[in-house]
Amino acid sequence: MDYDVLVIGSGIGGMESSIKLADMGYKVLLVEKEASVGGRMILLSKVFPTLDCASCISGPKMSSTINHPNITTMAFSEVAGITKNGDGRFTAKVREWAKYVDWAACTGCDACQKACTVAVPDQFNANLAARRAAYIAFPQAVPKKAVLQREGTSPCIGACPAGIKAHGYVSLVRSGKYEEAFQLVLDATPLVGTLGRACYAPCESECTRMKLEGPVPIRLLKRFAADKHYSGQDSGTPAIEVAEPNGRRVAIVGSGPAGLTAAWQLARQGYGVTILEKRSTPGGYLRHAIPAYRLPQDVVDADIANLTSIGVEIRCNVSVSDPEALKADGYDAVIVATGTQVATRMDVPGEDAEGSVNGLDFLAAVSNGAAPELTGKRVVVVGGGNVAMDAARVSLRLGAREARVAYRRTRAEMPAHHVESKDAEAEGAVFELLVAPTEIVTRGGLVTGVRLQRMRLGAPDASGRRSPEPIPGSEYTLDCDLVISTIGMSPDPTPFAALADKRGRITVDPRTLQTSIPFLFAAGDVTAGATDITRAIGSGRRAAHMVDRWLTAQPLDGFTVLDDRLETISADTVLARQTAFGHRHPVSGDVTLTKDPRDFTEIEAPLTELQARAGAGSCLDCGVCSECQECVKSCPAFAIRMDQRDQLHDFEVGAVVVATGHKLFAADLKPEYGFGQFPNVITGMQMDRLLAPTRPFNSVLRPGDGKVPERIAYVSCTGSRDKTVGNPLCSKFCCMYSIKQNQLIMGALPLADVTMHYMDMRAAGKRYEEFYTQAQDMGAIYIKGRVSKITEQDNGDLLLRYEDIEHGGHIVEASYDLVVLAVGIQPNRDVDRLFGQTPLGLDEYYYVAEPSAELNPGQTTIPGVFVAGTASGAKDIVDTILHSGAAVAQVAAHLEHHHFTEEALV
Amino acid sequence: MSQADIPEAAAAGQEGGQPQRRIGVYICHCGGNISDYVDVAAVRDALKDEPGVVVSESPVFACSDGTQHDMIDDIRAQHLDGLVVASCSPKLHQVTFRNVAKRADLNQYAYTQVNVREQDSWAHPHDLAGATEKAIGLVRAGVAKTRLSDPLEPLVIQTVPRTLVVGGGIAGLRAAIGLADVGIQAVLVEREPKLGGWVAGFGATFPNDASGAEEVAGLLEEIRQRRDITTYTNAELTGKSGTFGDYMVELTLHRDGSDKALSVNVGSIVVATGFDSYAPDDGELGYGIQGVVTLPQFKEMVDATPSGQLTHAGRRVRSIAYIYCVGSRQGAGGNEYCSKYCCTATIHASLQVGGIDSSIRQFHLYRDIRAYGTNELLYNASRDAGSTFLKFADDALPAVATLPTGGLGVTLVDVLTDSRELTIPVDLVVLVTGMVPRENRGLVGVLKLPVGSDGFFNEIHPKLRPVETVVDGVMIAGCCQSPRTVGESVAAGLAAVAQSAALLKKGFAELEPLVARVNPEKCIGGGECLTTCPYDAITSIEWDARTIASVDPATCKGCGGCVPVCGRDAIDLLGYTDQQMRAAIEEMISTSEPVKEPVS
Repeated sequence: MDYDVLVIGSGIGGMESSIKLADMGYKVLLVEKEASVGGRMILLSKVFPTLDCASCISGPKMSSTINHPNITTMAFSEVAGITKNGDGRFTAKVREWAKYVDWAACTGCDACQKACTVAVPDQFNANLAARRAAYIAFPQAVPKKAVLQREGTSPCIGACPAGIKAHGYVSLVRSGKYEEAFQLVLDATPLVGTLGRACYAPCESECTRMKLEGPVPIRLLKRFAADKHYSGQDSGTPAIEVAEPNGRRVAIVGSGPAGLTAAWQLARQGYGVTILEKRSTPGGYLRHAIPAYRLPQDVVDADIANLTSIGVEIRCNVSVSDPEALKADGYDAVIVATGTQVATRMDVPGEDAEGSVNGLDFLAAVSNGAAPELTGKRVVVVGGGNVAMDAARVSLRLGAREARVAYRRTRAEMPAHHVESKDAEAEGAVFELLVAPTEIVTRGGLVTGVRLQRMRLGAPDASGRRSPEPIPGSEYTLDCDLVISTIGMSPDPTPFAALADKRGRITVDPRTLQTSIPFLFAAGDVTAGATDITRAIGSGRRAAHMVDRWLTAQPLDGFTVLDDRLETISADTVLARQTAFGHRHPVSGDVTLTKDPRDFTEIEAPLTELQARAGAGSCLDCGVCSECQECVKSCPAFAIRMDQRDQLHDFEVGAVVVATGHKLFAADLKPEYGFGQFPNVITGMQMDRLLAPTRPFNSVLRPGDGKVPERIAYVSCTGSRDKTVGNPLCSKFCCMYSIKQNQLIMGALPLADVTMHYMDMRAAGKRYEEFYTQAQDMGAIYIKGRVSKITEQDNGDLLLRYEDIEHGGHIVEASYDLVVLAVGIQPNRDVDRLFGQTPLGLDEYYYVAEPSAELNPGQTTIPGVFVAGTASGAKDIVDTILHSGAAVAQVAAHLEHHHFTEEALV
Repeated sequence: MSQADIPEAAAAGQEGGQPQRRIGVYICHCGGNISDYVDVAAVRDALKDEPGVVVSESPVFACSDGTQHDMIDDIRAQHLDGLVVASCSPKLHQVTFRNVAKRADLNQYAYTQVNVREQDSWAHPHDLAGATEKAIGLVRAGVAKTRLSDPLEPLVIQTVPRTLVVGGGIAGLRAAIGLADVGIQAVLVEREPKLGGWVAGFGATFPNDASGAEEVAGLLEEIRQRRDITTYTNAELTGKSGTFGDYMVELTLHRDGSDKALSVNVGSIVVATGFDSYAPDDGELGYGIQGVVTLPQFKEMVDATPSGQLTHAGRRVRSIAYIYCVGSRQGAGGNEYCSKYCCTATIHASLQVGGIDSSIRQFHLYRDIRAYGTNELLYNASRDAGSTFLKFADDALPAVATLPTGGLGVTLVDVLTDSRELTIPVDLVVLVTGMVPRENRGLVGVLKLPVGSDGFFNEIHPKLRPVETVVDGVMIAGCCQSPRTVGESVAAGLAAVAQSAALLKKGFAELEPLVARVNPEKCIGGGECLTTCPYDAITSIEWDARTIASVDPATCKGCGGCVPVCGRDAIDLLGYTDQQMRAAIEEMISTSEPVKEPVS
């Protein structure tokens, strides 16, 4: 698409330029980086010297801009680069940022904004108040459309192999929306209570708070939400949407986390799902391996009840021997999720003696009420994984006198989760490190001990861990009554041997989880070997998605949950954008560990509601949007599009108008004025917001304590005429906006005293001097002299130190309730990168240079590129509008000249 | 309401065979400007049951895009045939809301703006009940007028792609070039014998030391190269007729002792007639004493001295005092305004002086140094170069006198030095004289230019329409509007070019159809109206074998002056018919206290 002119920036200069050019008949492309046109002027209260309300002047211009037939407005977009073509025209690359909202559908009703659970500083209120991550820029925004602020995937979500929106439910708990938090997890998997206990929480390891005082207790928040739900009235009947039955049937072999999750997802989409479980009770590893003190059986039951409540049939004691037979039974697809059921053998003599068991069988027996009698016995557990820890701790609970864990490497290499090994030790398990079994010692067919060889660490193996090497002649015997082997597990490929690799894993396409038999999919550990619950759940979700795609004859892709996440935002980026941290005492789980425990009661206490809210409250909202889905649910127009992404467009344009405006001086660069430290020191822009009709509070008040100020001081030239901050220039408009605010304050707070500390009162412009006189007549006080320092008093009042030049030159300290820093203008350096290799010329203060400013205002160093407004230096609104008019005349002259030249060539 | 319901509903509202109008009423909060002083909700509710009112709403900002869309939706969904917005002055947003009507396919003249801000909330900030009652009356009157509105269409006229520029100073010259460059012919008239104005007489100018004379010479060369620019010196604009987009202007060329008249057809006019320098009264700050000069005189002296020694009246100048704000910031009764350019111009000249003879001691007696923006750098440079700045209070002007020892003495109370009284002996005193509006009575008369209380020409609105005047197609630029610098004058000149191009490049313009119309059945050719019309829009024509009056709609401004003079009530003003105005007045009266003698 071609345009005559590209206008960059839709502040008052950009709008004026666009409207005038469009009125002349030129086709204009206007690119604005915010979600609304209007720039800074629309955010002002009133404008000097006419005291017109800014909205009344700006609002209709905004409306004219986007409704003009010759103007195409791209809001929430940036010009990524401009190159000059051979014919003197330009190619502009415009990046349309993802808004995550379909603007064609959005009605600007603000339901999403009300539902959103994340609050961030509102840049449109000069950070005086908060806005939501889902937001409409401001009440008079044009176009009035919502945007979701997403800076990336939050690290906690990015770390979850199950694709669970951890940030989302944290944010929901923070907002007191406990059931919604439960539902958000439930949307991924029925195993909410299970994950709240048995998940190793990779989310917490990645939590940005980890870099401060400690992570958000994400797992426990999930448990909190689950406990709330299950203990409430609506437990058992999750208010989850289930599609009408679609007539298709899917069989799922295995009822571990992968199978249960796949069944859940498919059943909700209307499939008739049957789970076939070999054992007598469902749950797989969750029920038969994880001990009850970590994961109580009734929690697993409650989680599984989610499934049965929506009609999933679980058939236990069913062994599948032939998948083809399932097909024949009327199942349209089959998912194999049988996990890793085969314990790895130690292959040492005596392994099959009575008193030697593998960990899986041992734990399953305990779970199923067939626990061996261990009172007073000595147990050696071989291995160093989580199962080893579970076996040792279960043994102690069964009365064992001693539970030793024999592991062939050192503590550092132990594969068990560090919390597990620590807790095991605390409960009395003893670690025998750098030892490997060579024989199970038996007497009369009964185990009496285990022969161990001492090891040392050699060269690193394929996994990067250093391989243990035997130390010759170091064997010794450890006496014991029971040896539990926990050195690994692998899938049992028996019925699917043809599909399995040599390690027994079923071979699948890793993205589609489809086997070489099209109707047969596999999920979880049976495809990947022993992993953990979250990976199994992620795999189960993927399998369910792919089965649905396959059964509805769609390409096997589109698993956006895990395959199309935004890039994870880095902790450094998150920390860098914070302006202040409140120290939060980290909330963590309260685990009761007793030495030699004797029962299977759950060892971890739940969070109290207070702890849950406080813990969730420490979330830094890394990705900003928490993906809590509240906006999705609340949008009456179904306009939220979480899968929207940035789009790049190329446009050919005849000329460019740079109207990128300015930045305001960052007042914290003058530390002696205390901005950012003293809450009652604010900037002029903040005061304009306090005075605006769409003000954040209903009155002019000071932010520190909400007091209505009675003595207000202005400090002019903050960041201007000041070599100490590198800016010797005068910003031109600060005197006038201060005088304007002086008058407005005296109107809003008739009893307030207003004093301005100034250097020179620069009321230069039509009716400006008269405006200044008017403020003096109204009672504003003007004191010449620069303020040298501001200090805060205990009550929040501020002491201004200055030389009272006009009254003898004494040093005076005056006390005020509120201080307004009249901050000046700074160049907007965004223009630096607009033109890539041949950058636009800047002046020595980094404003866009106008080589012939006097006679050719608006012309830049690049023919065909023009500048309008404050991008080229300090201007007030009147100056900006006139300057824009001049730039427009220059643009038109350029286009006409180009047109004539082209005609001449033809 | 579904579409099928409409005819029935409309039928139900019929009274006496007259179909009831379907009017939407919007009372704007104006973000507090109105709602802080008027109970907007009460006004809205009062209007709800008014006959013909179908929608009554009270948006926070009626002019916001969101509300505009809501109005369009209402007009379409409710099949509105009239629109009333009670908000600010129609000068601000009448066009805005007419466009709303247009976009919703409603005739834009079925729109009435009721001013409840300037004429109500702002006028009665301490009487909520009274202001609310007044607002209800005003809005009811607006509804009454709207009920009787007829659809009207704008008059379309072909525009002439040619612009008259009045004044050949820097702003006018640059504007002429700008016009030619965008494809609009420029005709430039200059009263003086030479083009170039003030700037042509300047040497180095701030901020970049460019020579004013060279800049003007460059522009004149540019003009010579452009066929589409015609210039007339010793020439004045002495007459104007026709209408915006198609004016006929009369130029008087003063040639060899006789005047020649020339008519030119133009679409728009840019007035860039510049300023005069303030002329101090005799004795004002020593003016009249040998060695006391004005800023333009001083500038000429400095420009004429390339290097070496600065001399005045044959004597070397070793010290100078500059007294700022002469003729500016004089307070009530004088020139209240700031002349904006003089601080920097003086500082710049003082830097020039330093270049000529760095030993000259320079004292600047100022009130505020208004070296705004990058001009601050010049201020810094002059202090670095050794200039001394002394500040006098607004109410304690310095005094200039001849010292007993000979030479000049400037006495002031310097607030920067413990408010001590100082007398500085100097060789030269420069009165930093500001700008004053130029005498242009003839031009003001011809163009009916609005002149502000400060004597400068007034724009319609400094932010919305900064170069336009209330006279359609007549623009102002440069120092005739207010004091400003060279660069700012040029920018304004080019902004006027942009505005002209926006008006003329389309090739046609739309004129208000709110003009007087003669009812030929009633008119008896009495002729009273013919002499009343200030625009000569009414002529006598033969109609149906009778002589009657006829109004040229393109010339008529819709002022309504002819309506009351007609003894036969034969003239009506479209959009403001007698019937409409009577109905409006009746409504307004019926709302307020009962009146003893009803007017009608």
